[in-house]
Amino acid sequence: MSTLEIKDLYASVETKEGRKQILKGATLTVNSNETHAIMGPNGSGKSTLAYTLAGHPKYFVDSGQALLDGEDLLKMKADERAKAGLFLAMQYPVEVSGVSMTNFLRTAKTEIDGKAPAIRTWTKDLQAAMKNLRMDPKFASRSVNEGFSGGEKKRAEVLQLELLKRKFAILDETDSGLDVDALRIVSEGVNRAKENTGLGILMVTHYTRILKYIKPDIVHVFADGRFVKTGGPELADELEETGYDQYLPEGATESAIA
Amino acid sequence: MAEQEITIPAADPNDPYAVPAAMPSSADNEPRSFKVGDFAIPNRKQEDWRYTPVERIEEFFDVFTPSGRTKVSVTNIDGTPVDGTNVQVTTVDRAQAPSGTVMKPNDRVSAVEWNSGDRTLVVSLSGELVQPVLVDVQGNDAALDSLHLVLEAADRTHGDIVVLHNGLARLAEGVEIVTGADSHISTTFVQEWEKGSKHVGNQRIHVGSGASLRHAVVTLGGDIVRIRMDQDFGGPQGDLNMLGVYFAEADQHVEHRTMVVHNYADCRSRVVYKGALDGKGAHSTWVGNALIKPTAPNTDSYELNRNLVLTDGPIADSEPNLEIENGNIVGAGHASSVGHFDDEELFYLQSRGVSESEARKLVVRGFFADLIDQIGVPSIASHLMDVIERRLARGESADIQAVLEDK
Repeated sequence: MSTLEIKDLYASVETKEGRKQILKGATLTVNSNETHAIMGPNGSGKSTLAYTLAGHPKYFVDSGQALLDGEDLLKMKADERAKAGLFLAMQYPVEVSGVSMTNFLRTAKTEIDGKAPAIRTWTKDLQAAMKNLRMDPKFASRSVNEGFSGGEKKRAEVLQLELLKRKFAILDETDSGLDVDALRIVSEGVNRAKENTGLGILMVTHYTRILKYIKPDIVHVFADGRFVKTGGPELADELEETGYDQYLPEGATESAIA
Repeated sequence: MAEQEITIPAADPNDPYAVPAAMPSSADNEPRSFKVGDFAIPNRKQEDWRYTPVERIEEFFDVFTPSGRTKVSVTNIDGTPVDGTNVQVTTVDRAQAPSGTVMKPNDRVSAVEWNSGDRTLVVSLSGELVQPVLVDVQGNDAALDSLHLVLEAADRTHGDIVVLHNGLARLAEGVEIVTGADSHISTTFVQEWEKGSKHVGNQRIHVGSGASLRHAVVTLGGDIVRIRMDQDFGGPQGDLNMLGVYFAEADQHVEHRTMVVHNYADCRSRVVYKGALDGKGAHSTWVGNALIKPTAPNTDSYELNRNLVLTDGPIADSEPNLEIENGNIVGAGHASSVGHFDDEELFYLQSRGVSESEARKLVVRGFFADLIDQIGVPSIASHLMDVIERRLARGESADIQAVLEDK
């Protein structure tokens, strides 16, 4: 049983116009085996929250903590956060030319576990995980994310999620750009990971359609850099009906903020 | 498409744009000559020498008596003797064909090389080679030496040849490569010189009609390595693929100049050079010229140079030049870049638990891997990846090195 506690987190991003504060006091606790959906309008800071937790160099923490079983992730380098138990499934996974998926996955697994995986079981695990995600075995020999379609990239993210077996996963709009079949396959992967390892999930999304496949225990509305409302799965249905307008600052429209 | 007979009018020196330039190119107006005196002593004000630290290679500017200390052996890549039916190794007078038949020297250092020494080593390939030929060039000391090498392939030959430079040397080297019609040849030149070495090279390359040549250059060691490569085609439908890999470290100067000339119809050329630079005073230069003559309709050419700067301090010069004298071509593209690590790539790898130093290594390995794969000689490719791996592991603990070598 693990706990991720985000405490009063303020963070900024460097822009051409100078530093701009995006997160303004985000607070949230997630336990193992819990699935939290984080919903909100464009530009509310959901992705910033995801990247700040994962340690992207573009984002600066102004104050606050993110404790994973008491250890502050925000004081660690990105790779140390992953080793401590965090996984970020990115909205736009990065292409790394010339590095094969196999080599990359094995390197990551070795670093995460502190020792190289036994070749025979590793190959078996990899093949099984790829088969579950309906990935062509040829993917293993291709460069990381290079030339992958949007759907293929998302499957590759979930493949890593399943193989690296972290304690908490942030899924940053993993549902975007997926057709219905791909959405189902990717969701099954996330559900398997939760079932197998008791993963705690922070699922960032605009839309409720992924919630049909990955059932949230708790739904949050995120607006203007903080959590503004928390409820059960019924809150997602309510948002589907009413939209986010009521959570936007006075006079603002969603497009103006984005 | 039938071959067309086209007469090129002579250029008027007073009005070079009145007719297409007849000399190799308007940018390259150096003479072609075997005589040293036809070329001025190089200095940085001359276009061809502006990036070269000429003061560090002054000994290559005047004819010298070669030490003869460089040892050259020709075997199969696995060390066994070559099969005389497919591979013939002879030594001829430098002035005796095929020596001196592929173009003429094009700068001071290549004319000096031609006139310093009187023998030429000729490796002649024919038929279907079972395994790659290895020409091992072993430097034994820093005494000034010269080597003139001819690699020739008869019509319809299929074969690979690897020239390995190692040891300590100060070498002026001339290489002539001539491939026959419809041959498919690869030549790979590896520079793994020891510290203190200098290598000033000139290659003249003639690709046969309907032939393909994969020409690779890998420069990993030597205080100064400067190689100029001039090429042309012997007929239509030639295919030239030039690959380059280099890794310059502190105070090393590594310079490659590729001069591709499209003089026949329907030929294709690709030039892809990639380098990494590490440490203060590391300097690389790539100059890629491509000239498409009026006689070369349907030319398809592309050149690319990428430089990955690993630390603060190195300098990478990258200069593509295109001169297109024919409007009827498939393509003449170029790309050139000098850059640091991509933060997004590093973050992606780190977010999967890969430490920053290991992430950098993965990226550098990836940067070179596809190019090294294309060399097409597996034992050489894996050797080169090992060398690059060891470079990257330098300065790390023995434990980490052991893990890396285990991979």
